[in-house]
Amino acid sequence: MKKRKITRVLISFFLLALLLFIMFPILWAIVLAFDRTVLDVLPDPPTMCPKEVSLFNFEYALELIPLGRYYLNTILVTACNTGVSVFCSMMCGYAFAKGKFWFKKFWFLFMLVVMMIPFESKMIPLFLQYRSWGMVNTYWPLILGAFAYIYGIYFARQFISDIPDSLREAAVIDGAGEWKIFFKVVFPLCGPLIATLCILQVLNNWNSYLWPLIIISSREKYLISVGVSMFNSAQQSVYYGPRMAVALLSALPLMFIFLFFQKYIVESIAVSGIKQ
Amino acid sequence: MDRFKRLRPILKKQLVWYSFLIPTILCLILLTYIPTFTSIKYSFYDVSIVGVGEKFVGLRNYKTLLSSSSFGKAVFNTIILALLDLSVIPIGVILASLINSLGKGKLQSFFRIGFYMPNVITGVSVILLFQVVLKEQGGILNSFLSFMTQQPVEIGWLSNSMYSKFGATIISIWRGSGYTMLISLAGLQSIPSEIYEASEVDGCSGLQKWIYITLPQMTKTFVFLLTTNLIASFSRFTDLYVLSGNSASGRPGGSLQTILMYIYQYSFETPNYGMSSAGAMILFVIVFGVTLVNLKMTGFFKND
Repeated sequence: MKKRKITRVLISFFLLALLLFIMFPILWAIVLAFDRTVLDVLPDPPTMCPKEVSLFNFEYALELIPLGRYYLNTILVTACNTGVSVFCSMMCGYAFAKGKFWFKKFWFLFMLVVMMIPFESKMIPLFLQYRSWGMVNTYWPLILGAFAYIYGIYFARQFISDIPDSLREAAVIDGAGEWKIFFKVVFPLCGPLIATLCILQVLNNWNSYLWPLIIISSREKYLISVGVSMFNSAQQSVYYGPRMAVALLSALPLMFIFLFFQKYIVESIAVSGIKQ
Repeated sequence: MDRFKRLRPILKKQLVWYSFLIPTILCLILLTYIPTFTSIKYSFYDVSIVGVGEKFVGLRNYKTLLSSSSFGKAVFNTIILALLDLSVIPIGVILASLINSLGKGKLQSFFRIGFYMPNVITGVSVILLFQVVLKEQGGILNSFLSFMTQQPVEIGWLSNSMYSKFGATIISIWRGSGYTMLISLAGLQSIPSEIYEASEVDGCSGLQKWIYITLPQMTKTFVFLLTTNLIASFSRFTDLYVLSGNSASGRPGGSLQTILMYIYQYSFETPNYGMSSAGAMILFVIVFGVTLVNLKMTGFFKND
């Protein structure tokens, strides 16, 4: 028993050291971002203590990059996208879980097959299509795709299948239509499902890069990921301090979301197996 | 007339159910099926300017692509990077085993959340971070290595094409091992404890249990991790594009250009939609195959 306790302590210490090692880059970035003297040369030898603490790097970075604007753009697109995709996937999930209609199996496969088509293989014609509709450099192409959130449909079907039929039948006897049942009976029972899907979609949207890069061309409409990378390439290999400040500021919202909802996020990922 | 009257309620019911599906079906037809088929079509056409002068050329795009050394190099880079990336799986499994051995409790959830954290941070800010961390001079990794070996280490993790694939892999391990840990931990905790108890009666040691019970019981998890990892690596783009200073050339020296970056280059930097569609089709076949294996092995289709 005693031997067990010792191994437990040893493992804990090892994991703690490893965790510190992994977190080290973030800590170092924080140090660099607050150090006034870090501009075009890195401190040599590296230190974990800023030579001259100031907010200069943040102020300088914010002058070069409209980060607030990018935040708002990203929040707008993420909110629309998440709302639409979660709602639509619940609609489909409900129909596939409880509905009886013609060609049900066909439509389910019709949707699932899409999971095997990587986005990249349809990207070019999709871009050309949006261009011919005059939607390039608007947010429409970033939002319209949300009407088909296939993973969401799959999970929603799974979840709604587990809701007992008796609840539905009671509502049918009361003369409620399917839409009424959907809103009044199914929706209120889907809290955990909605939370999981929303978390996955928010993370997904916040990190999306390639598609916004292709669609959005004017500077003031950039999402945060593209905006930050454009700033970075303009600053290539110089001004380390301001770059670290921008990296921290752009990572901050997700860090906060993570700290507040860590339990749900970790559960969502573990249950769904969706990779970010 | 009479028949129609009998049919009406049935039809109405059908319509109600279809009203739940219509937005998604329309979206899929317009934004997935049509573009996918257009992509297949373009791969057999010479498309320089869309609408003007689309010319059927048969397999020429594929031939040009497969015989071009730059596409070959992109495929090679992608495969090497994908294989190097697979190292997150053993790392994640070992981490998960260690965390699992602590037993359920506060300590376990602390490590679970801590190690997962890097996975949540915005992709692009991670790159900004690591451009500095992996810097040749003054980068913290080289400083650390110098300190450990007591001699100056100056490896251009991201600037020397000899090391750039390792540099890129360091980034993906940093970001990805938390995810593999999380999935492996879920897999570990779903192994029924009776098996372990039985083996204890038979006098198995800890390591024996790990080798003869844990690893075989985790086969499904391994397949899942392997395939999701391969899929993600085959369409790797964002981090390497940002590392190249927002260009798809895969700097340094093209050593980090993946298939998707190659496609991007031929779509948006020097447009040749026929060529890039053929490249997209090749990528599609690879990913489709891997996904199919994944869904089959993890029993996705058995659900009905």
